[in-house]
Amino acid sequence: MEIIIKAFELILTFDKDLYEIIFLSLKVSSIALAFSVVLGLPISAFVATNNFLGKKVIKILFNSLMALPPVFVGLILYVIFSKSGPLGFFEILYTPSIMVVAQIVIILPIIISINTENLETLYKEYEDLFKIFNAKKINKITIILWDARFSMLTCVLAGLGRALSEVGAIIIVGGNIIHYTRVMTTTIALETSRGNLTLAMSLGIILIFIALILNSLALIINGLSSKYSYD
Amino acid sequence: MTNQKNIITIDQIFLKIKNKKIFENLSLSFSSEGITVILGPNGSGKTILTKLILGLQKTDKGEIKIVNKNNIKFGYTPQKTILLRRNVFDNIAFPLTMDGYKKNEIFERVNLYLKKFDIDKFSKNSARKLSGGLAQFISFVRSVITEPDILILDEPFSNLDANLKNKIENYLINHRLKRKIILVTHDVFQAQRLADEIILMDSGSMVSKSINKKLINSKNVKVKAFLNRNYL
Repeated sequence: MEIIIKAFELILTFDKDLYEIIFLSLKVSSIALAFSVVLGLPISAFVATNNFLGKKVIKILFNSLMALPPVFVGLILYVIFSKSGPLGFFEILYTPSIMVVAQIVIILPIIISINTENLETLYKEYEDLFKIFNAKKINKITIILWDARFSMLTCVLAGLGRALSEVGAIIIVGGNIIHYTRVMTTTIALETSRGNLTLAMSLGIILIFIALILNSLALIINGLSSKYSYD
Repeated sequence: MTNQKNIITIDQIFLKIKNKKIFENLSLSFSSEGITVILGPNGSGKTILTKLILGLQKTDKGEIKIVNKNNIKFGYTPQKTILLRRNVFDNIAFPLTMDGYKKNEIFERVNLYLKKFDIDKFSKNSARKLSGGLAQFISFVRSVITEPDILILDEPFSNLDANLKNKIENYLINHRLKRKIILVTHDVFQAQRLADEIILMDSGSMVSKSINKKLINSKNVKVKAFLNRNYL
């Protein structure tokens, strides 16, 4: 109980170190999410609206990548971006940049797989209309993206949640360097092993708070969806 | 009708779906004007025939020739209503938007049709939340908004009340000489009210094709059996 009270004290007194960690976490995960959405939505729309050789293989691949263990992602990126690795010349190992890359690798398959399923279902439903009324490719894509916007937003929130809660990959590639690459989850892991449970607990509370916000947003989006999506 | 040129010619088509024979060497043609009603029991291939004409289904063999195909505009009311996750206005506007009409033209044309069919009060309603009958009616209005050359209606009356049914029937009667109308229905009485010619199908074959009045006097055993079943 004492730990929890002290944890709240840290949060409510706006402890500088604590908030630095929180903001870095949010910054890394938000940038990773933005890249994943920008990359993932066009890929989802393309896969959903086209029939091509290997489509099933691509879908299976992205579905499988959703279950990729983050520590393995961390290990692979470490090998690739270490000094002797093929992309070592970028010199981004142990920087926030490689943490963004790691989170993109983890959440991009989620964004692509779930959105592809959503968009494909809608596309199949609309397919005859598109054919009869000679819809152009660009029209088809914009129509299904717009009509599936609420389910896509829910998926994006799920991606953000996954990014914020991820620890295995970023602790390997980021190195958990204080004031530089230390984020909420890596700090919790470190401080718990050190026995500094107050800081770990305060970050845990913040993570739960963020999870609550994300879930509330998802619920609000569902509510808006039933009101404004015309579905 | 007999002097008109054919707008659609179906030439010796073969089709199997999931190893089930749908059509085997089916040939028939549609004149360029008037209402052709396709009658037939469930599973006779009526809906698939309309999908073949629309290009939504491919044949295994044979050809479907449509005069001036690249410039022909189709209108289609499917058996199973498909509506976009939009309001009624946007659903009806959809074919015009795809045809590249300007916004003000779309606005005027859609409002004209909403008023003409007395559904303007539903304009901002979610199309997918309407009753089955009204949704089907919106699907019909959408299929005629572009004033198509060929209008194909696949059992468009199945969920409609008498009022909406009358509106569609009146539209069809008033436009029978302006465009080709192909109507799929089970209703023999309706077929006789509306049709210029009637095609009776059974098990993927054309049992008979006759001008409306002649169907009832047909000596064909299958026609008689179908009519008896539906009149009784």
